[in-house]
Parts: sequence; C-alpha cells; structure tokens
Amino acid sequence: MQLPVTVLNASTKRDTGKKAQLGNITAAKAVADIIRTTLGPRSMLKMLLDANGGIILTNDGNAILREIDVSHPAAKSMIQLSRTQDEEVGDGTTSVIILAGELLHMAEPLLAKNLHPTVICKGYARGLEDAVKIVEGMSFPIDINDRSQMLKVVNSCIATKFTHRFGTLMAELALDAVQTVQVDIGSGLKDIDIKNYAKVEKIPGGTIEDCRVLKGVMFNKDVVVPGRMRRKIMNPRILLLDCPLEYKKGENQTNVEITKEEDWAALLKAEEESIRRQCDQIISFKPDVVVTEKGLSDLAAHFFTKAGISAIRRLRKTDNNRIARACGATIVNRTEEIRESDIGTGAGLFEVVQIADEFFTFIVDCKEPKACTVLLRGASRDILNEVERNLVDAMGVARNICIDPRLVPGGGACEMAVSRGLSDRASSMQGTESWAYKAAGQALEVIPRTLTQNCGANVIRTLTKLRARHADEPGCSWGINGDTGEVVDMKELGIWEPLAVKLQTIKTSIDSAKMLLRIDDIVSGISKKSSVPKPGKQGAEVEDENVDSERMINE
Amino acid sequence: MLAQPGQQGGNNARLQIQGERQSGQDVRTQNALAVSAIANIVKTSLGPVGLDKMLVDDVGEVTVTNDGATILKLLEVEHPAAKILVELAELQDAEVGDGTTSVVILAAELLKRANELVKNQIHPTNIISGYRLAMREACKFIDAHMAIKTETLGKETLINCAKTAMSSKIVGSDDDFFAQLVVDAMLSVKTISELNGNVLYPVQSINVLKAHGKSARESCLLNGYALNLARAAQGMPRRVQQAKIACLDMNLMKARMMMGVQVLVSDPKELEKIREREFDITSERIKMILAAGANVILTTKGIDDTALKYFVEAGAIACRRVPKDDLKRIAKSTGATVIVSMADMEGNETFDPSALGYAEEVVEERVADDNMVMVKGSKLARATTMLLRGANDYMLDEMDRAIHDSLCVVKRVLESGKVVAGGGAVEAALSVFLENFATTLGSREQLAIGEFANSALVLPKTLAVNAAKDATELIAALRAFHYKAQTSPDCKHMAQFGLDLVEGKVRNNVEAGVLEPSMSKVKMIQFATEAAITILRIDDLIRLQPSQDDQE
Repeated sequence: MQLPVTVLNASTKRDTGKKAQLGNITAAKAVADIIRTTLGPRSMLKMLLDANGGIILTNDGNAILREIDVSHPAAKSMIQLSRTQDEEVGDGTTSVIILAGELLHMAEPLLAKNLHPTVICKGYARGLEDAVKIVEGMSFPIDINDRSQMLKVVNSCIATKFTHRFGTLMAELALDAVQTVQVDIGSGLKDIDIKNYAKVEKIPGGTIEDCRVLKGVMFNKDVVVPGRMRRKIMNPRILLLDCPLEYKKGENQTNVEITKEEDWAALLKAEEESIRRQCDQIISFKPDVVVTEKGLSDLAAHFFTKAGISAIRRLRKTDNNRIARACGATIVNRTEEIRESDIGTGAGLFEVVQIADEFFTFIVDCKEPKACTVLLRGASRDILNEVERNLVDAMGVARNICIDPRLVPGGGACEMAVSRGLSDRASSMQGTESWAYKAAGQALEVIPRTLTQNCGANVIRTLTKLRARHADEPGCSWGINGDTGEVVDMKELGIWEPLAVKLQTIKTSIDSAKMLLRIDDIVSGISKKSSVPKPGKQGAEVEDENVDSERMINE
Repeated sequence: MLAQPGQQGGNNARLQIQGERQSGQDVRTQNALAVSAIANIVKTSLGPVGLDKMLVDDVGEVTVTNDGATILKLLEVEHPAAKILVELAELQDAEVGDGTTSVVILAAELLKRANELVKNQIHPTNIISGYRLAMREACKFIDAHMAIKTETLGKETLINCAKTAMSSKIVGSDDDFFAQLVVDAMLSVKTISELNGNVLYPVQSINVLKAHGKSARESCLLNGYALNLARAAQGMPRRVQQAKIACLDMNLMKARMMMGVQVLVSDPKELEKIREREFDITSERIKMILAAGANVILTTKGIDDTALKYFVEAGAIACRRVPKDDLKRIAKSTGATVIVSMADMEGNETFDPSALGYAEEVVEERVADDNMVMVKGSKLARATTMLLRGANDYMLDEMDRAIHDSLCVVKRVLESGKVVAGGGAVEAALSVFLENFATTLGSREQLAIGEFANSALVLPKTLAVNAAKDATELIAALRAFHYKAQTSPDCKHMAQFGLDLVEGKVRNNVEAGVLEPSMSKVKMIQFATEAAITILRIDDLIRLQPSQDDQE
C-alpha cells in the first residue's frame, strides 16, 4: 500500500545531485562576474546604493560584496572569502573571488565527464600544494629599510585603485603610518597594529594632496570652555584620565534622609568638595592639557580654567589609547594615584584648529610617536570613503611586507608561471586526479586573462604570447601590463606583490572551491521551531496521510 | 482529499478521538517509509567518497556538513518515527562521536526488512527476538574474531584510525596532516583518573579555536590553552614569563551589596565614606592578589576600568569576562584553584598563594585579525588548543565537526585498545556469520536473523554505490573472502578484507590502514537494532489535533 508520507517539513526546498552542484557553480560564477571588471589598473568603480539610501563608490572587492545581498548559499560562502582575505592580508580581495569562481568553472566540464567530486578535490589539493611551492620559489626578499623600493612595491599594489592618479601619495602615507606604529616586541618579532594605532580621520574639503600622516594624534573635539582655555600649547604636559570629573553616585543604593537644613548644605558641599579635591590633585602636577574619557562637570572646568589648563572631555577610549602611545603618557583611573611618570611629555604641540565648521584637536610633533592619525582631505564624503578603503589596503600591503619582506612579480606573471608549472607536472601524473590538477593550473590563468580583458586588449593573442613566453622560460617574470595590455617583463615594469597576499589568495580560493564542490544536496528553508504550522496550508499536507476524512480541516 | 479505504474509519468514530488514528500494517509501512526517507537523505554522505550537504535555514544561515547527526538535527523532521532516527543519530554522536550516518542507514535497513517479514505473516515479536539474538551474536563475533588489539599495531594505528574517521570529511584530502594533528592533540591530554587509575583522554580538554584566514593546512596545535580575548588594558605587558595565574570567579568591580539593600544615611559625611569604601574594597582585594605573587589574573566577571591601573603598574596581565568553561580548564591545567570568594574562616579576606596556577609563559598573540591570550607550558599540561584555519566560517565549522569526530575515534581506540578493519569488512563478515548462524536455528527467528544478516550488507553497498562502483560484484567478492576466512582456518587473515573505494577492489584494509575502533562498530549495531526494535513495536499511531479553542 503506498501512502504519501511527509517526513520533512513541507516548506523546505531540496536540490540534490548534479542540480545542486551546478547551482553552486553558477552562483559562484555569478559572484565572480560582478566584480570581474574591478581587477587591474584599468578597473572601473562600482556605485552601490545601500538600504539607507547611502552611496558607496568603490572598486574594492570586499567593499562591493559586503554591500550586495545575495540569497544563494554558495554565493554567501563566496562573499565570506573576500572578508577573510581582507582580514588576513588586506589586499587581493577581488582576485580571490575571481579565482575561486574560475576554479569552480573549470570543475564543471570535469563533473560533466563524471569525474567524482572527491577526486577533483584531491586534484585541487595537490595543485595547491605544488602551487605554493612554485610561488615560494619565485619569491625574493627586499630590504624593508630602503624607502624608495618599499614605495614602489606599495605603489604597484594600489595601482589598481582610484587614488592611483595622485601618484605615490597614498603609498607614502601608508608607508609612513605603518613605520610609525611598528614596534619591536623582541625576539625578532614585529608588531604592527594598524587597527588600534593608525587611525584614519576624514575631513571633507581641501584636496587630496593635503592628506598627511600626523606625527601624533588628531580627533574631533574642542576644549571644554572655548575662549577661556588655551588652544595652542607648545611642549604640553598631557594628563590622560578615564574617570569622570564630576560627582558620581556610589554603587550601593544609598538614601539620605535630611532632617536639618544644614545637612542639605553639607551634602551639596560634600559633592563640591569631592570635585575640588580631584581637581586639586590634578592641578598639583601642573599639566597643560587634561583629557578624560568620561564627563567633566562645569565646576571642574572652572577650576581648570583658573589654573590655565585646557581640558577635553568624552574622548573615545581608542583615541585615548592612541594619545597615550603617541606622547608616552599612562592613562590614570583615579586622581589620587597620579604620578609624575603618568604625565605625557612626548608631544611637541597641542593645538585646536578650526577646519570648516568644526574644531579639531591636534596633538602632534611627538618625539617618538608609536601611534598616528592619517588625515584625509577630499572633495566629498564618498570620495573620502573610497580613499580610506584604498589607504587601508595600502597599509595592509605595507604591513605584510614589513612582516614578510618577500615579493613575487605581479601582473599575472606569477599565476602564469604556476599554471605552466602545474600543467607540466600534470602530464607526468597518473590517475584521473591529473585532470583536476591541470584544471587548477588552468584556472589560475584567469588573472592575466581578466587583466587583459579589462584594458581592452586582444585576449587570445596576448594570452598565447604570454603562455609561449613562459613555456620558453619556465618561472620567468613576464606578465601583462595592465595599462596597455602588452606582454612585458615585470622586473622592468616594477610591478611586485607581497608573497603573503599571493599565497593567501591561492590558498583561500582553492580551499573554498573544494568545499563547494563537495556539496551534493542543498536543503533550504528549514524553519525555526517558533514557526507554528498554519492549520490551513500545513494541515493539508498532513491530511494526505490521514485516513479519517471526517476530521479534515477545510482548506 | 480522499478517504483511505480501511478499517480505521469505523474505529475512530466509536472511540471519539480528537485526531487521527492509524493502526496495524498501515502504520508499520508508513514508519518504514519515513525511516527509509531519512536514511536516503544521509546515504550519499557515507564513506570516503561521500559528499556534503548544504543546509540553509529560514534566515539564510548556511551550514555545510557531512556529519549525519548534524544534517538530521538541522533538517526539520516531522514524522514521529523519523524523529526516533534523528535522536538515534544524536545518541551515537554523544556516545561514540562517530558513525552517525552508518547507524541511521543500518537502522532504516533493519526496519525495512522487518516490515517485509511482517507482511509475510511473521509476528513482530518474533522478529524482535530474532534481531536481539542476532545483535548479541554479532557483538560477540566482533569481539572474538574481528577486533585486533592495538598493541600489536603501534602508533601508526592511531593515525590510521583518525584518517579513516576523517576520510569522508572536508579535511579528507589533507588526512596525513590532520590525522597527525589529531593524534598529537589527543596524546597530549592523557590523564590518569584519580579515582581508579584508569587512563583517560578527555576530548573536552582540547580547545578547538577557529580563525578564518590562511589555509586549512596552516591549522596547528598550540602548546597551551588559547583564550579568544585580549588583555583588559593596552598598557599591560604582552608577555609574562614564569606566570603565576590567579583564576577568579568574582567581580572586581566596585563592591556592591547583593539583593538591592538600601542604606539609609543620616549624616552626609557617611555617604562620602561609603563611596570611598566601595572602591577601596576592590583595590584591597587586588593588592592582596598581587601581593600573593600573581602576575596573570583571569576572571569570569568584570574588572573596573579604575582597577586596571594596579595591574598595569604591577606588570601583570589581567583578562576579564573569561568564559567559565575556559577558566575551569585553565585552572585544571595550571594547577590553580578557581577562587569564588576571598573570605576566610575568620571573616577577613585573604588570598592564598597556593591557589595560584603556574605556567611558563602567558602571552598575547595576534592570530589573523584577533588577539589571543595564550597560556603556554602549564604545569600539568593537560589542555591543548587546536587552532583551525580555513577559507570561511562554513568551512571552519565543518572542519570543527570533522576534527571532533576524529578526536572521539582516537579517544575510543586509546581507551578501548581494539580496532577493526573498516571499509565494510566487519559488515560483510557479520552477514556471512549470521547467515550461517541463522541456519542452525530451527525457529521463526531464523528468518529474522537472516534478514539481519542481509541488512548489515547495506553499509558496504552504500559505500560502493557512492563511489560509483559495481556494488553487486564487489559485495559478492567481499563476501566470498569472508566466507573463506570463517570456514578454512588457514585463511584467517582474509577477515581483514574490505573495500578499496578508489580502485574498486577488495583488499586487506588493516594493511591499507583503514581502521575503526571496535567499540564504535559494536555501539552502532546495538543502537541501530534498538532503534529498529522500538519502531517495529509500534502498531498504532494516534495523532491528536490541537484543541479547537486554540484555533479560534
């Protein structure tokens, strides 16, 4: 007897077998196609309108993909890749997506030939292993103290970006910022914490040429009492606090019952006293500037004004940390415990400047700034945002080189060499894996191909020429000049990329391609427990298996 | 809707049940169908050439997995009988940690075959007793003839077992690397139970951390325990050598009365004193901890910003909001005592230096975009951290599941010390053995045991089908080997023969290094049989309708 049996929730959708595999591949390719045109020096920007009506102008792969809303699960997984890449190395976010898309695309004919997905995965895994070896073999170290060389490298990495037309400016900014925040933590290790200590501040107005790296910190705050506190102090003594300079109630719930009038006065006085005491303690150290993360009452402001101290309140914790590092101060939590060593004397100038409508505080000319602010100027907020993204990428590159000073040729030369190397080895391999192994190599050609495509050159002619070059001379550094579409030696053109970025790109893309290929079943729309089955629609499904027709619910 | 012809309609009218009722053969057939449907879902994920499933929930969260238990947990299964199977998979996951897919497939097959027998007029209770008998015999047989003591195979065995467990998973293509990692991790957490001197390998001592970036191959074992949080203040040192660790489970915020006690103050000066005292209590505590020699302070609660300064000045690392589980494990590995309160018997507050744990080094390291505090070289070295790297979160989650399975397998092998050949060897042997055993019985159970024998074959069959090999031929060849192994004494080694799914041949799987812990096999057979029996016993299904009031 055949009765229909509903085992799964009827609202789920299931794709299985080939359909699921092809669906994943198509979705991945679609994602790659979105950002294909943003690769290389001739790349185009994308304009994105987000849900709140804001505009984003960018050619940063990660920024684009972050904004678009995809529904296919495989596409979501792809988008995460560029985030990973961004977090790990900060550059190559576009390449990683294009490469992963291409790897899946190359797997399609193999699946059509009935090659088992696990075999393809194995082939890709071996391809990755050898690709890493080849890329490492091509790399060479550079001297990170040689500024002109470093500039060149950073510059060639951000050559694809919008800010490229401003020459080496961005590269210089990035390099300066990174070198400022670089700290030796002993045993040959370097710590470069861009996230915490190199802050990018954007002020619309001015021109991009006005951008600079401050030898110190800047933030968007004014002194508490404008006009009565000094706005410019040379060689200031800076005191940093993270406690409030106002009367604060205790943690315990305390009620005071006042029965006498004097008590009321005493109570008010006590509050006043506590502020006065705090201020006196501070003033006894003769700071010129007092900065606190919390509030500062009018009374305290009054005391400071009288003592000739400029005060700034409600500063963000991260900004305060940066000031501490820039001028050598320690953030103090309790005024009783201030010591002379807590006062920062490293800064050369404290100044509050009005730019456009707003006041900005500069603590600059530090002797040994281990933290910095990068000040960006530009015509509009949209442009500034893009400049910031470019700068963050550039700083990522600079950081990578400082940590691992090995480079590989850019412009698709590296990919071509790997592709060539893999297809050579594939011919000596046994078993069906060699097909996948070879496909992994071929997929890498997508980078030079896209570069050529984006600058409008003849793809087939250029690529065959490049392939021939690499066949003659395995492991050579010939690649595509992304501006002209010609085949040139990258050594002459001076296009280099950090090894860390390249390796990460290849690793991430192959790993994720492997994962997506292994999927043969997609179940979507699993509802959460909270969704109570509706008696109307859901009931009908359940009824199918019921024998008793009397108790049927009307549809 | 069509009314199903049957006897139930009449029943229902008499019984006045607010719902539907099915009984007899209908319900059995339906259960068998539902269970097969569940088995079919996970079938393709079995074995080294099994594939993964992608599950998307209604908010769009994606899970990619190969683990039977996870797949079934995430699928919203509605059918009651099918739910039993889902629970079965979870049980296997909790008890053994691996073999969740196999157990579901086996249970479904047992049920399907039992249903056929019932259709042939054999009473379910006969089948049940037959299955029970077969299960017992099968377990005995595995123990006596299939299991191999690990001492005879060496450390290589552990690696091979781990490899077998992860062969079907996403990390399968890097099995050499990960198997080594898993075995090393497991060996490093060896502990000897204080109660009875047994050697234990607690899986939960291995802290698996996930960080995206790099590639799967850059996953590593970290010597020590990693906490996925940063130190409380930037001013603290990054590295503390010869760390004396204080593990606190108390608040270092300003002291505060519990239960909302109100203090009534009559003299305003008192108020000021209360405020002062509030902070001083905390600051005294901290000074006491520091005076005891602690230079690393971990607490599960908060630390007041104001209090951080003391730690900074003392050159100590302090971490707040450490997850409690992590803290307990650190305490265990460094020999520290988790301090809940500093009060002593006399009503004063003291901090006993013996409560401090010791580690060679505590250091904050940057991993990917995150900072982590690592406790290295701890005194008792009972905790290890495995840091997984991968392309994205989905991949990392799946790697985590795969690693967990392998860890469990290695643990089982280490603790039970017995392995069996994988790749369908045990199942094929069982089918031959049980078939022979069945013929020795003259009762109705004979048929049930015969079907049990056939059911066991479903696993090697599924393996072969997933690999796109000729299942019929391979199984026939495999059975022939095992028949020989059980009949002629000089062919005993043939009991180790199983399937080679890449080449599509039969080979000696012990030599090829395809091994599973025997305990996982035994448990799998026991659980699957029990589940099948549970469902088989059902002959009536009553589904109550939600009461009418709710709908209006």
